[in-house]
Amino acid sequence: MKYGLFLGCNVPAVRPDVERAIRLTMPRLGADLVDLEGSACCPAFGSFPSMDETASLAISAWNFSIAEETGVDLITECGSCYSSLRIARSKLLESEEKRERVNKLLEPTGKKFRGTVKVRHLIDVLFNDIGPEKIRESIKYPLENINAIVQYPCHTLFPSEIVGFDSPSGRPHMFRELVEALGASVQTYSRELQCCGGAGGFVKGSFADASEFAFKKLRAVKKETDAEFIVASCITCLQHLDRMQDELNKKNNDNAYSLPVFDYNQILAVCMGFQPKEVASISTISRDEFIRRITKVIVS
Amino acid sequence: MIDLTKTNTRLWQEITDNCGDIRKCFNCNTCVAGCPAAEGNPPLLIRNLVRKVLFGLEDELLDDETPWLCVTCSACEEMCPMGVHPFEICLEIRRWQSKNDETYIPAATAEIFETGHTQAVGQVQEKRKAVGLEAVPPTIIKFPELLKKFQEMLRNTDIVRENDYMFRS
Ligand code: SF4
Ligand code: SF4
Repeated sequence: MKYGLFLGCNVPAVRPDVERAIRLTMPRLGADLVDLEGSACCPAFGSFPSMDETASLAISAWNFSIAEETGVDLITECGSCYSSLRIARSKLLESEEKRERVNKLLEPTGKKFRGTVKVRHLIDVLFNDIGPEKIRESIKYPLENINAIVQYPCHTLFPSEIVGFDSPSGRPHMFRELVEALGASVQTYSRELQCCGGAGGFVKGSFADASEFAFKKLRAVKKETDAEFIVASCITCLQHLDRMQDELNKKNNDNAYSLPVFDYNQILAVCMGFQPKEVASISTISRDEFIRRITKVIVS
Repeated sequence: MIDLTKTNTRLWQEITDNCGDIRKCFNCNTCVAGCPAAEGNPPLLIRNLVRKVLFGLEDELLDDETPWLCVTCSACEEMCPMGVHPFEICLEIRRWQSKNDETYIPAATAEIFETGHTQAVGQVQEKRKAVGLEAVPPTIIKFPELLKKFQEMLRNTDIVRENDYMFRS
């Protein structure tokens, strides 16, 4: 199994420990990663897709052509990259006119969109190509007697026709099973499928209300579950649920919200025995004590 | 009171290229009920935006910043019973606004033009090395000759041509 790792912008710049975790864990599970040399922003919904559709599709097509030259499907962690690329691909495949316009723009660069490769999310590949059984066998430190909640990335659920891989898309289970494969119990709660609210312009444009939206979710987690950590598989969910706990603590003037938040490949990497200082070192809410508890190793 | 004789009745045809037939929208509120940004202040209410588009209320639509609150979750897209494509409407309105008022054009766009990214991917070398990664990732930031081609490609797009002062290399 071979995949082209699509990095996007946030993972390599803001949370490179997630990139490290992906690069270490996937080959260990038999999924080799190839670099997509010269790939750019997906582009983010708040940029070209909000201004000029042809320009936006040309950027996506630029990214696709790199994977096509290498002959691999793109794989990505970031929900927004995943959704932006999936939607772009579907528009390009649906309309010959759009394809022609975009290929005319690409031509002087020596690139071409052919539509021969797919876009996959890590959860999809981990569940459907690798499988929970293989993951279970790969870990050194199981998360026994530890309760988790999972944050399903909204961009992998809707619109199901274009981005969906779980079945049914509105009642996902694959991510939960991947976390259970690490030994943890996954608890459900009323706002489980509520999106994190961290993407797009909500936080920037309406900070107090966007925060309150996330607080509702966090309060429900606290009230309805005994979760000891949160697992995400999207750079935005990861950062936002981390940051919003800190904001809620500031508002309440206490430390009541301190659940460590991990990207799935990060917690997988820790369970596999990789160095926490490489695979899970950047966060607002400290993850050190939690990691110490699992690995019984002192994190410095 | 809205004077319907002064509206642009063709507006919906101008801006809904990628949507379903928005005349089928029957104001059911499903796109609002599941929308995170409907909890914003002012709230993003797709169903009202659809009305503004259908009635051709250009001035109101141009001043309405709520489409920019959208978190891009596509819940509305999934749930709309009439196949109207509310998320796509949101993007279409943003495109129409950006075309008619350049102050809407997001800064991220110029950043992508300049560096290929929305984040300073090339300027976090110590941070990346500390976790055992290559200092510069193998994206466009590492290949200046590719970035140049990328910029040449974008120079041929409408948005860059019409606002060239914003896009520098
Ligand atoms: S869900 Fe669809 S039909 Fe209902 S108000 Fe929204 S756009 Fe209109
Ligand atoms: S995609 Fe945007 S408009 Fe639709 S439900 Fe999500 S935030 Fe609301």
